[in-house]
Amino acid sequence: MTAAPALAAVRPPRRRRATPAKRRQWIAAYVLIIPFLVVFIAMLVVPLVYSGWLSLFTSQLIGGQQFAGLTNYVNAVTDPKFLSSVGRMGLFLLVQVPIMLALALFFALALDSNRVRGKRFIRLAIFVPYAVPSVVATLMWGYLYGKDFGPISQFFQAIGLGTPDLLSNQTIFGSLVNIVTWEFVGYNMIILYAALRTIPAELLDAAEVDGAGAWRTAWSVKIPAIRPAILLTVIFSIIGSFQLFNEPNLLHGVAPNVIGTSYTPNLYAFNVAFVNQDVNYAASLAFILGIVIMIVSYVVQLSTNRAERNR
Amino acid sequence: MRSARKTATLLGGVAVVAALALAGCSPSTGSGDSSGPVSQADIDKAMNTPTTITFWSWVPDLKNEVALFEKKYPKIKVNTVNVGSGADQYTKLRTALKAGKGAPDAVQIEYQYISSFRLTNSLEDLSKYGADKLGSEYVDWVWNQVSDGGVWGIPQDSGPLGNLYRTDIMQQAGVTDPPKTWDEYAADAQKVKDNTSSYISNLPGNDPGQMVGFFWQAGAKPFGYDGKKSVKIDLDSADTQKVVSYWNDLIQKGLVSTDADFNDNWYQGFNSGKYAGWPSPAWAPVFLQGSAKATAGKWAAAKIPQWNAGDDVSGNWGGSGDSVLSSSQHKIAAYELIKFINNDKESTLQFANKQFLFPTLKSTLADPSFVDLKSDFYGGQQVNKLFTGISDTVDVKFEWLPFMDYVYSSYNDTLGKAISDKTDLKKGLTDWQTAVVAYAKKQGFTVTQ
Amino acid sequence: MTAVATARPAAGAATRAKGRKRRAVARDDRRSTLLSIVMWLAAAYFLLPLVWLLISATKTTGDLFSTFGYWFAPHFGLWDNIVRTFTYEDGAFGRWILNTILYAGAGSIGATILSTMAGYAFAKYEFPGGKAIFSVVLGSIMIPLTALAIPTYLLFSGAGLTDTPLAVIIPSLISPFGVYLMRVYAADSVPDSILEAARVDGAGEGRIFLQVALRQLGPGIVTVFLFALVATWNNYFLPLIMLNSSQFFPLTVGLAHWQATATNPSGGNTPLFDIVITGSVISVLPLVAAFLYLQRYWQSGLGTGAVKG
Repeated sequence: MTAAPALAAVRPPRRRRATPAKRRQWIAAYVLIIPFLVVFIAMLVVPLVYSGWLSLFTSQLIGGQQFAGLTNYVNAVTDPKFLSSVGRMGLFLLVQVPIMLALALFFALALDSNRVRGKRFIRLAIFVPYAVPSVVATLMWGYLYGKDFGPISQFFQAIGLGTPDLLSNQTIFGSLVNIVTWEFVGYNMIILYAALRTIPAELLDAAEVDGAGAWRTAWSVKIPAIRPAILLTVIFSIIGSFQLFNEPNLLHGVAPNVIGTSYTPNLYAFNVAFVNQDVNYAASLAFILGIVIMIVSYVVQLSTNRAERNR
Repeated sequence: MRSARKTATLLGGVAVVAALALAGCSPSTGSGDSSGPVSQADIDKAMNTPTTITFWSWVPDLKNEVALFEKKYPKIKVNTVNVGSGADQYTKLRTALKAGKGAPDAVQIEYQYISSFRLTNSLEDLSKYGADKLGSEYVDWVWNQVSDGGVWGIPQDSGPLGNLYRTDIMQQAGVTDPPKTWDEYAADAQKVKDNTSSYISNLPGNDPGQMVGFFWQAGAKPFGYDGKKSVKIDLDSADTQKVVSYWNDLIQKGLVSTDADFNDNWYQGFNSGKYAGWPSPAWAPVFLQGSAKATAGKWAAAKIPQWNAGDDVSGNWGGSGDSVLSSSQHKIAAYELIKFINNDKESTLQFANKQFLFPTLKSTLADPSFVDLKSDFYGGQQVNKLFTGISDTVDVKFEWLPFMDYVYSSYNDTLGKAISDKTDLKKGLTDWQTAVVAYAKKQGFTVTQ
Repeated sequence: MTAVATARPAAGAATRAKGRKRRAVARDDRRSTLLSIVMWLAAAYFLLPLVWLLISATKTTGDLFSTFGYWFAPHFGLWDNIVRTFTYEDGAFGRWILNTILYAGAGSIGATILSTMAGYAFAKYEFPGGKAIFSVVLGSIMIPLTALAIPTYLLFSGAGLTDTPLAVIIPSLISPFGVYLMRVYAADSVPDSILEAARVDGAGEGRIFLQVALRQLGPGIVTVFLFALVATWNNYFLPLIMLNSSQFFPLTVGLAHWQATATNPSGGNTPLFDIVITGSVISVLPLVAAFLYLQRYWQSGLGTGAVKG
């Protein structure tokens, strides 16, 4: 038996049989991941498989369940409600994520620059919305947006600009962007801020010696230095915005005709499952949504990996 | 890598098998127990066996009436659970029935949803327990709601439509008497608009219950279900179009607002006097008392305006009964429970006077403690007496579709949206009809229009 | 699974700096007034709705609809509201608080333990299938919750576990994001050298994990714990489907339940705005306090956890 190299850093060739030492480590590794995996499989894999199974059937109130192969999927990709909801989420993604991350970056940089009075309080204030459950957040904003009596309206009235309807067809999108941004800017900001704090002093010293001002330093030194952090917030924000559910669902109570049953893909799947009682179609919608999310995420990841390699 | 691949395949196989096993187990939705009528001996035996039953209902303070029941039958213990109101509860009920586990013994169901649970054979026919003999004790049209080829529930409350209005605002507008016809109503709306800063009322875009109540009053019969596979969907008949054009007119002229109801903004509207009235059901007076305290004493109640002068017809908005699920293991106890709370004199009076559910039992409706009550909020008017009279004028026959969840939800996307956007309501109505017909066909029903 | 989907997590990432020296001294002591003003306006914007919430908690339902949102009503009803919140529905609110503490506590502690073990294993061991399984775990973050809701409900129902605390706790034990975070953190803060040294000394893998690795992983563990805590505390969708009885509701579902009586009325119901609002204030306070108190841990946890993108 050939002895495997002692250093763990060298990756053993695939087909080489492992030493007892290595085996011990493998067992340890499996033991460590088994608890997680067991729950993972039970709570994720099994329901997912079952969901996939369900999506291959159609059910009717009269007639019950019948095997239908890919019928649901065909219907889903030609369903105008579903397609428009996915499109709307794509738009949401293109609008909300850049705004939110730009704000988060700006705030992080501003706090990091040490030029702001009352830094700790401001940091906490920006972060607090993350700790607020979406039920409460929607409650608060639902009130603030109130057409006749919400404070925002009253403010506009006081300065003579009439009552803006922030929950109308034209404005609901922006209002939703606002709520979600409000909830999550602090979270992203903290991540970026923590990343900024680890930038080595030498880099910043060098910039200062070169005569770079605060803005220039931020743009040319700090931002590139935390690029991986930024990229990751982008990916997870993408995933999150395609899965938007809580906020539109709760906003539906406040603006029931403006937020329709198919405002976001997840909301549509939920309504199809629970209101239309069509669990099978809902399962296929959810699967397609998952695939869309995966594609978008991998595309973003691939292009940024390529960009990093070319750096 | 070999061992990992094997593990993966094994796990995958287990998962598939598990999934297949789950898919294979189909929950039973109801044991169609078609034995004959239950004897008194059976009932006595059941009521003397220690049993615990579960009762889903969203009526607040229900435990008071249940306590009366438990006092009479000490061996029966009742668990009342509030899992949500209306649609929220039905969602949970359907999921539980589908899973075959977790459903209660007795449950509160609004009249319009009874047929949807009949469709899945989830409700127990109560006539075998003697419920059919109770029919004459209840208001006719309400009894018709729960009995159709069997008795599917015991009525609890209802919501005959009337008209609540602000006396002070109407006076300011120059209106002395509440409008008796819809034409008068429209004229008064103009007066209110011209002379005050209020609207005569609000037509919400998210309340199909109210709109259907209007249809009901107009004599329309938009829904029909034969109890098997056939449905009638006639949402754009001449009568419904009449109603819809009428409101379309008012909206286009700016005589009514179109705010969504039952939210922050809407409550504020009442408190600030934006709405001078509310065509509303019998449960509304008390509801308003709780949420529009600032305007106490300035309201009065009247009958709902009529389409033809001299008519006296109303519609209904809301109301529910209690039913027994066919999956229950304690059907007799559950039946006795719902019969007691909705039929016993003390219990029904409590519902009426303490929880302000508008009664459906004729004796309660005639009881002086209920009828003669004077309400300060309504300037000392005997509001209950008025609505009792209205209750007698509700059209006796009105059917529903066995999938009202979808019907109401698609309202918000079609006719409701037209209202809230202030666009053509007639088109909204047609869109609603189209959507509901498409859904019915997709679900395998035979549709007549 | 913790409600990762709805919480939209973003990972902490910073370049892997050679010789990570934290900047010990502030570089520039000049304070910019303009920037300060901008930031204070930003802070005001974020606090705006919460201020409304606090003020509204002092009003009765009647006053809520007839007084200006950002000033108090003549009648200061905060104490009454608090009492009513805790006594309504036989003290349901108090039960909900206890439930939330149970679910969030058990869920996040459990998730932290599982994530730490798994993340450490993925980071520090190279074993067959390791990379593949990790990719699957990462990929699972993208699964929409609705795909899992009904099947999970049917599974639990088959096991007779719906409408029990376990139905909420077990799914929240999985935090793929926590595993990811921990993997990254472990890769960075537990050098292979000390592991090798311990092995040479004859320590078994278990002892190495418990006595050597864990010590290094401290701040990372706290970070994972805190984010899992927020996710489980604010979990809404999952408990909504799983639970029927009010006695098992967490605060989120309970408050939404009360709120629904205002938007879904029928005979007998009255709007419960006053206690919904007061309840909301009470539900937000513990998390804010936790974050305040544990600030230094999670900040260093995120910071020193150098992550490769």
